[in-house]
Amino acid sequence: MSDMLRAPAEVTYADELAYLESVDTGPKPFSWRLSPRMVRLFVLGSERADGLDREIPQKWFGDRSFVERSIVTLASDRGLLLIGDPGTGKSWLAELLSAAICGNSTLVVQGTAGTTEDHIKYSWNVSMVIARGQSRESMIPSPIMTAMERGVIGRFEELTRSTSDVQDALISILSEKYVAIPELDQDNIVFAQPGFSIIATANSRDRGVNDLSSALKRRFNFVRIPVVTNKRSEAEIVRFRTEELLRRHRIELEVPPTLLDILLQSFADLRAAASAATSDDEKLESALSTAEQIGVLEDAVLHSQFFGDRTLRAGTLAGSLVGSLARRSPEDLAILNKYLHGVVEPRAKADGGEWDGFLDGGRQAIAALS
Amino acid sequence: MTAPAPTGLFGALREQLTDAAAAFAESPDALAGILAGMVDDVDRALGERLEIFPVCHHSPASALAMARRLRARPPKVIYLELCEDLRPLLDELRNCRLPVAVQAFATELDGFPAEWSPLSVIAPITEASAEYQAIAYALDTPGVELVLVDRSTDHVFQWTPRDGQPADPDPTPAADEDAALHGDAVGVEIGDLRPRFAELEAHLLHHGKVRHWSEWWDQYVERPLADADHDTYRQVMVLIGSLFRRLRPTRSARDDRDEDRERHMWTRMRQHLAASGVDPADCLHVCGAFHAASHVEQFGLDSTAPDFPISPRTGTRWRYGLIPSSHSAIEAQFGLAPGTVSIAAANWAAAVGRTRLTPYRLAGQQTGKKGRRTRATPTATSPDETADRLSGFLAAPPALDALDEAELRGWCVDIVRLARRNGYLASTADAIAVFETSILLANLRNRARPTPYDFADAAVTCIEKDVVPGRRDVRRLCEILLGGDRIGQVGYDSLPPLARDVLDRLRPLGLDLERRTVQRALLDLRADPALAPCSDLLWMLRHLLPADAVRPIMGERRLGHRSTQESWDLALGRNQRALIELGYEGVTVEQVLEQRLRRAVRGPDATAARALAAVEDAIRLLDSPRLVDELGARAVELLAAERTVDDAPEVLRRIRRLLAHHRTTASTLPAWCQAFVTTGYAHYCTLLPTAFVDEATGVRQVGAMLGFLFHMESLALSLGCDRSQLELAVAQAHPEAPAKLALLWAARHQLGLLPLAQLREHCAELLGNPLVVPAFPQYLSGFVHALDPVPGLAPFVVETMSAAFAGLPDPVLLPWLPTLITTLREHGPELVPLLVREAERTFPATLPELDAWTPPWAAAPATPTSAPVVAAGPVHRLLTGHPDATDAVAALLGCGGPWRSPTDGGPPPPDAASVLLAAHPATADAVAALLAAT
Repeated sequence: MSDMLRAPAEVTYADELAYLESVDTGPKPFSWRLSPRMVRLFVLGSERADGLDREIPQKWFGDRSFVERSIVTLASDRGLLLIGDPGTGKSWLAELLSAAICGNSTLVVQGTAGTTEDHIKYSWNVSMVIARGQSRESMIPSPIMTAMERGVIGRFEELTRSTSDVQDALISILSEKYVAIPELDQDNIVFAQPGFSIIATANSRDRGVNDLSSALKRRFNFVRIPVVTNKRSEAEIVRFRTEELLRRHRIELEVPPTLLDILLQSFADLRAAASAATSDDEKLESALSTAEQIGVLEDAVLHSQFFGDRTLRAGTLAGSLVGSLARRSPEDLAILNKYLHGVVEPRAKADGGEWDGFLDGGRQAIAALS
Repeated sequence: MTAPAPTGLFGALREQLTDAAAAFAESPDALAGILAGMVDDVDRALGERLEIFPVCHHSPASALAMARRLRARPPKVIYLELCEDLRPLLDELRNCRLPVAVQAFATELDGFPAEWSPLSVIAPITEASAEYQAIAYALDTPGVELVLVDRSTDHVFQWTPRDGQPADPDPTPAADEDAALHGDAVGVEIGDLRPRFAELEAHLLHHGKVRHWSEWWDQYVERPLADADHDTYRQVMVLIGSLFRRLRPTRSARDDRDEDRERHMWTRMRQHLAASGVDPADCLHVCGAFHAASHVEQFGLDSTAPDFPISPRTGTRWRYGLIPSSHSAIEAQFGLAPGTVSIAAANWAAAVGRTRLTPYRLAGQQTGKKGRRTRATPTATSPDETADRLSGFLAAPPALDALDEAELRGWCVDIVRLARRNGYLASTADAIAVFETSILLANLRNRARPTPYDFADAAVTCIEKDVVPGRRDVRRLCEILLGGDRIGQVGYDSLPPLARDVLDRLRPLGLDLERRTVQRALLDLRADPALAPCSDLLWMLRHLLPADAVRPIMGERRLGHRSTQESWDLALGRNQRALIELGYEGVTVEQVLEQRLRRAVRGPDATAARALAAVEDAIRLLDSPRLVDELGARAVELLAAERTVDDAPEVLRRIRRLLAHHRTTASTLPAWCQAFVTTGYAHYCTLLPTAFVDEATGVRQVGAMLGFLFHMESLALSLGCDRSQLELAVAQAHPEAPAKLALLWAARHQLGLLPLAQLREHCAELLGNPLVVPAFPQYLSGFVHALDPVPGLAPFVVETMSAAFAGLPDPVLLPWLPTLITTLREHGPELVPLLVREAERTFPATLPELDAWTPPWAAAPATPTSAPVVAAGPVHRLLTGHPDATDAVAALLGCGGPWRSPTDGGPPPPDAASVLLAAHPATADAVAALLAAT
């Protein structure tokens, strides 16, 4: 374990990647570290039928075809755009793919309203320009330009948060595969090396804010990642991510399966309520994604660890759920109140068990926030 | 079951599998049992004297293997796993365009729970199937007999548990109309081959790295077997059938049914062989691979087990026919992934082209391509040369076709064109990207060439950027590209008599009604009276078929009204199933309509209102006095038996219409009408006191009852009813609800029991009492409902409302107004216009007039005039100019007065009534004597 708070995937799974590289005999496109099949295996985990000496755990949970389509897109001429609701694992998939393909997932540009074209192409070290004039040494390449020079994958997070003119800086990068530096007289073109590609992510909830131009759309293949609604897969994801978080925080606390079920069930109920709602006021502001569930569970675990008796209890979980999901007052609180009394209370009466504690905890949390 | 032979044809393979089981499994015995058992099943099925040909439904590989087998060694008898009573229908297939489904349909059940009705079984037949090859070969080759050996459709339901529903109702009805072509029929198909429990299927899909069963089958069985020889094909299919047979959960009712079906099939085959004396070597048994690995005791011609006792069929009357089917309907019926059958059809077409095999096709079949009549040409292949092809097949990688670049390139170009047509921003660059991505995906998925599934994934990846509601998604476009949904059609000659009759009778319209498009028919009945029968038929079809099959755009047919010009949207081709199923009910549309109308009035939920509706339909559509009388008589019975008055408004509306119709079209009312009026009068008089008090009965219903009683009164009294019955009923009514109380007052006023002055007094009291004022809208609502039975009350209601507006103080009136409006809108929206009209008549139209206006009710009561004022005018001029007619009428009535000019100022004429009575005193004398006697 490294001493980083959160190590990137290529560091966390360095030994796995090294192992897979050593046994990989398949054809590799460009300068890829692993063949496409091995990349898929790294992301989706191995099975006995794969005939490997060691087990490779599954790291991203979702439909196999999404991963396959993403991998072949990166092997083709186009960039990859992962689209989905917040918390569906787009960035995590992008990180895993980058780590597996080129061993570097850190060449990232974060798209925001303040992102400029300099962040995508290059900028200048003003002191050095004053001291030595404009040269390659005084130029600060962006992560994307670095990826081009090295022939690796560059990442662009939240592409649609940046403005359209900034987004369009990617058009020439993706089609001509070079960046011209008109300020320089010599050595003024940076060509992309084989293996370069871009993985961008976009939030489908931001649709319409800064829509992609048709020209840019044409240069990306879109892979739409849906919200996980399969309860089994969702349980796997929550368990996997929570274990990782607990390991990171060095907390030894067990998440009882019954509480995990309660968490999944309550999210499923709230999603059903949200899809049945007719106006925004009747549904929670939260997207109720899997990442939110992980957030709720993490919050409850940390609360139990530091302020509780080091045992995760239903009441604490309910408190965390209310605390995480109640963003607007009174709309969200009213919805949660309705949920607790309309759904959880009858269930607590019928099934009892942990639902009783969950109901009490939820009531207290709502009372505290009201 | 026999013990596995240690050696034999598959000895080496059995040994190899047993060793593998010992090496890999934790409990080698169980696994070895399964693996060795599978090999034994193959051995046993192949060793059978009667050749078993295992198939899978909608499998081009099965169809190819079947075509090859039939060409190599043409059999004389084919035993097919299909319900035995469907055999006569198969000859009709040559008149149809596939896919169609053979259907057995029953509405008159005997021996089954009534709630199962109607029973419907369908077996769809597609071109890319082994069964179609067998059927086409058998029907078109002289001397070949086709014998269906599976249980009859009646047995399908006999073997269904009584506690369940025969057809699982689909909770989500198919959104696509093509997917709903089969209705809620039970589907049977030949060669149902699928894992019998979800975990096994999930396991196979997971390890096969595919998304759904059809894709698994395509990759692991269909393609490797596409060009396999006969022995390999048979051995592999039996092996798969055996695998699914052995890997299934504990015995279920479905297993019992399957085994009974196998017993049935073998019994029938043995019986046929014994009766016909055919050599089993000349026969072929075509069945699902699952049944090829059967373990029932009757399996095999050498079995000594007694015949399976086949129970007799029930008395249910089955009707048979062909209905159109479609790829999507088959997919929806049998739970296949969307596009599966279309892809199978595309694969079949490609395989036929590639292998240059001439498939069998029924002569006369409607297809896109001209079918070639083929003759079986035997080749020298000995049936006994069975060798172990299984070991080689299982051990070696499948020999797949090389990448067909031209085909893939064609798909890529076409999908881009199709996408562009559907509003996507797709370009040639996308075609290139789809091509490249397809190949990369196929490589990643361990496939030598991209399958249609890879291609669809690639197209979605490269072309689909946005999801626009209402726009076809790229996956759907791929399905369309790869053949799309094909919809079958039943040819004219195979239609039931009713459907043929309909098409014949509509021929004068000059439209091709078998086409699936909506067609506009224009009927100018004045210019071309010969089209009148067509119009009659269309109105009947409108009543019997789904709404979109026959839709009038212009023209209507009401009681006593026929349009002279009509325009119709006809979609009979698209609703062929509905028309065919109508054909199961009768031979002509008239007969079916008559039956339906009779059923409507005889059913357990029949009401008087529905019976009157049926009478109306019978007059409108059939014009059959006999049927009208019968239905009308039933309406009288139903009315007399009714204990509620919920339908009173509907009854009133309909009987009024019917009476008006009969009065204008016939000299006397039909007997049933008279009976209905007298029965209704007595019936509603009886129920009136209860209805006034009963909280569950609304004002509208009571208003309608009074409407019936007052409107029909003169007719009822002339037919022998007694008015005192109504007076007593009104006297017995003591309602408490304000609206009903107002209704009662109105009724009493109409009967002359409550003068207007008293009524006015009641209302003044109500308005004067602040405790009652909030409920006053309810009273008004009652009065408004009384406008229909007592139309003379309209001025009074206007007066009352005006009094309320004038008298109530603003603090009371303003909160009260919204309540008044909502109450009127809720309870009698259709009657408010009457009130408005009356108000319009009462109040002045302009503002200046208002100043000098006095409400009619506030004006002094008019003094009775002694004689009518005769005004000069056109009428008068006409009458004086041509006095003959008037004189004749006057003479007839006994009025012999002279003509008087309005200008001559002569003496007022004597009262006409007194003149009449003086001239004919007999009636008045008789009445006076009667009154004196009582």
